[in-house]
Amino acid sequence: MFIIGLDGATWDIIKPNIDKLPTFKKILSQHDNYTISLQQKPWSASVWCSMFSGKLPEEHNHLDFVKDGEVQTRNDVKVDFIWDILSRNNISVKALNIPFIVPPYNYNIYFNPPGYGVPLTQEELNTEITEITNKIVSVTGDSKPELFIAVYTALDKMSHLHWGGESLIDYYIKIDKAVNKIFELDEKVLILSDHGFTDYDKAPVQTLPKITSTGNELKGDHHPDAIAIAKNIPFKVNQPIDVFNGLISYFNVK
Amino acid sequence: MKNEKRYTTISIPVQLNEKLKEKISGTGFHSVSSYVIYVLRQLVSSSYEEKKGFTKEDEKRVRDRLKNLDYL
Repeated sequence: MFIIGLDGATWDIIKPNIDKLPTFKKILSQHDNYTISLQQKPWSASVWCSMFSGKLPEEHNHLDFVKDGEVQTRNDVKVDFIWDILSRNNISVKALNIPFIVPPYNYNIYFNPPGYGVPLTQEELNTEITEITNKIVSVTGDSKPELFIAVYTALDKMSHLHWGGESLIDYYIKIDKAVNKIFELDEKVLILSDHGFTDYDKAPVQTLPKITSTGNELKGDHHPDAIAIAKNIPFKVNQPIDVFNGLISYFNVK
Repeated sequence: MKNEKRYTTISIPVQLNEKLKEKISGTGFHSVSSYVIYVLRQLVSSSYEEKKGFTKEDEKRVRDRLKNLDYL
């Protein structure tokens, strides 16, 4: 099984631009797709943590990348993740660039993300797509694990900075091309986002200040409607924790 | 200090124990316990090396980038 995360991906960009996104157009016509309306706050660190630990925010208590001025690491997050549990049960699993911490977390893979996992320049933002895609192709070519999870994170930064602009559509076109390269690598594929996006002023939560200390004006912020596209996935994701619970059930482990 | 415990008990699945017995057969390990202690020491050591690999300078760069986005 292959899980592809697209941080911050939203139907509000994909559907109105579907004719520019031939891969999404094709897979949406062929496979289940739906909205995950988050009941928990749409904070990336917390949602990705819930998704792969099966714990609600009040249980994992990992709400953001930074706590009390300290950048959080894997050791600060006191939970077992799905990869820990599957490994204990001798099921092969790899996880690439999972952004519940910064730099994003890797399991059974070495990966050095562009910009330390916080890509800021356009070059870093573009490079992330290429490097993640190449890594996915190489991992699945070497020895495909029974579960492989990979997340593209830079779409979130693009959406904060360029919401409403043509450059964000161009970035979705790059993501569409990447998905085209990897979607057929497994019979069972789940694509999902951790939250959606909307205009900064309309967003129900503001995750960052509108004008950053470096003078950038943020155009977009997080929305609680995330996306899901499921090819032969035997469970439905109504909330992030359903990913963990569905995997536990599918692999029949405890 | 006479009564200070130097070892503790950790449970592993019986099936894994059997596999480990097969694995150490004919090697210099006289028991599964000594083999497990060896492997865990290696693991702890490599985790430490990985942590050392992420330098203070790297950490500063991450903090600077998070500051740039006002996470810090």
